[in-house]
Amino acid sequence: METSDIIILSILLGCMATYVPVFMCLFFTAALGFVIFTDLPLLLLAQTLFRSMDNFALVVVLFFILCGNIMTAGSIVEKLIKVANALVSWLPGGLGMAGVLACGLFGAISGSTVATVVALGGFMIPALIKNGYPEKYTIGLMTTSPNLGVIIPPSIGMILFSMISNVSLEGLFLTGFLPGIMIMFGVCVYTYVIFRNRTEITRLPVPNLRETLAVLKEGFWSLMLPVIIFGGIFSGAFTANEAAVVACVYAFIVEIFIHKSMKLNQVKEITISSAVTSATLLIIVAGATCFGRLLTLESIPGRITETVLSAIQSPMLFLFAMNVLLLFVGMFMDIISATMILGPVFLPMLQAFDISWMHFGLIMTVNLAIGYCTPPMGVSLYITGAMANRNLIYVSKAVIPFIIIQMLVLGIITYMPDMVLWLPKFFGYLE
Amino acid sequence: MIEKILGFLDKILSFFEDWTLFIAVMVALTALFVNVVLRYGFNYTLAWSEELVREVIIYTTLIGCSAAIKQRKMIKIDASVQLLPKLKVPLNFFSNLVTLIFAYMMIHYGWLMVAMQVRTHQKTIIMQIPLAYLYAILPVMGVLMFVRTLQVIYQDIMELKGNDIEESS
Repeated sequence: METSDIIILSILLGCMATYVPVFMCLFFTAALGFVIFTDLPLLLLAQTLFRSMDNFALVVVLFFILCGNIMTAGSIVEKLIKVANALVSWLPGGLGMAGVLACGLFGAISGSTVATVVALGGFMIPALIKNGYPEKYTIGLMTTSPNLGVIIPPSIGMILFSMISNVSLEGLFLTGFLPGIMIMFGVCVYTYVIFRNRTEITRLPVPNLRETLAVLKEGFWSLMLPVIIFGGIFSGAFTANEAAVVACVYAFIVEIFIHKSMKLNQVKEITISSAVTSATLLIIVAGATCFGRLLTLESIPGRITETVLSAIQSPMLFLFAMNVLLLFVGMFMDIISATMILGPVFLPMLQAFDISWMHFGLIMTVNLAIGYCTPPMGVSLYITGAMANRNLIYVSKAVIPFIIIQMLVLGIITYMPDMVLWLPKFFGYLE
Repeated sequence: MIEKILGFLDKILSFFEDWTLFIAVMVALTALFVNVVLRYGFNYTLAWSEELVREVIIYTTLIGCSAAIKQRKMIKIDASVQLLPKLKVPLNFFSNLVTLIFAYMMIHYGWLMVAMQVRTHQKTIIMQIPLAYLYAILPVMGVLMFVRTLQVIYQDIMELKGNDIEESS
């Protein structure tokens, strides 16, 4: 580490601590770095800001956000919850299982966490409490399960990781399914174990075949949405961009003409709010690109790689250190800035430890997802806390068992790469 | 007086932002969807759709930022504010000040860049749009952000004054 590195780092952290929007922290750190350490004109930085958005791959972010917003405003989410209910709610603790399942289904269409917390939490938290589930369990479940939105593809974190690393996006998406399913399974088992003998919880009767079929029929159009997205991408019919566009058009058609749950004048409102949300994310990409420019000019990633490689020799230890660091960063930073800043710093180290980039992309995404609900700073804690009128300490205690489940899954995928990488290998996205 | 001017500006800006964002997103959605249909149905691709969509991304992101400032949706790291709620007011002012500086930089350097593109007459490859028009979004975004930030600062001051009156009464 040289003095210049420390100066840059402290400017960045200082900015971030002072409540300045993240993209400006990145932009101004780059600007100050340019002025202090280089002779380059600031004009170059403004041009970098502009050029970084001139990227066709970014459009997928906008359209997956739009798709998620259409579903939430209309009735697709509600129908997905109903389907999840019909499938598992007759089991002991079934409604809790339905909650995590619904998050998984929603995550298979939307790419972000916060949207899932609000969309599903507002609906599931009152429903669970009404049916006699303890408040602590309810809050813990609905704070942590939305992480599935980031882990299960399509995921904005993965989109950006594939952008900076040129790892196949389709392949990276494929790695996300297994950890997602493992987390859902873990939560269901945990729920079953604690509610097995509890009588105060309303247990719904086993639905007969006809009722189940009726719910499935009603939810058919909603369930087709993930089928279109993933069927389209993995059969090679669509690129990720095209899948996002087709999904949006499909969701609009279903909500307006089939479910009739959305009026035409709502379309404008939803489109604008999606554009604003995607703008707040993409401008961070632009800021991070400016910052990355400074890092490369000062060849900081190279120096960090040298330092790390001289301190750590074993891949096991390296992965462990990486996980701890990413969990910590994920607590403070959103997934986009974290991926854009740390990705380029870590990628050069991976070869020395023989870790595949795709594997690392998945580890990074899962870590940063868990960071969303890690006490004491994760964003989701504050959102559910506000929704349920509970303070941070209560929510933090409530999430502990669920975080342990997610960390176990994280440990498995970190140290058993073959378990997650066989899927992309099978489909030919990885050698 | 200030309120009237800001209210008037707000109406114009909101109208401009809303319609730009809506039309841009819809155009991109339609272009890409038509492209998919044409590719499958008629084995034909629109060469300009990708370029158009890239430009839409630039426009929606930069205009969306101005709207995000008004709606206070900008992504910030709120760790310090969560830990020390007392800092919220001063830090908010500081962050607005930084935003004003950023907006000014966008106006200044954006203008320089537009001037450069006007001199060199560069155009986009497929649709032959002069780059000067595209780069013009930078100073425009600067102006929008500047006005929006002033508006937010004004709201904050009014809110503080309101709180003081409540406390003293």
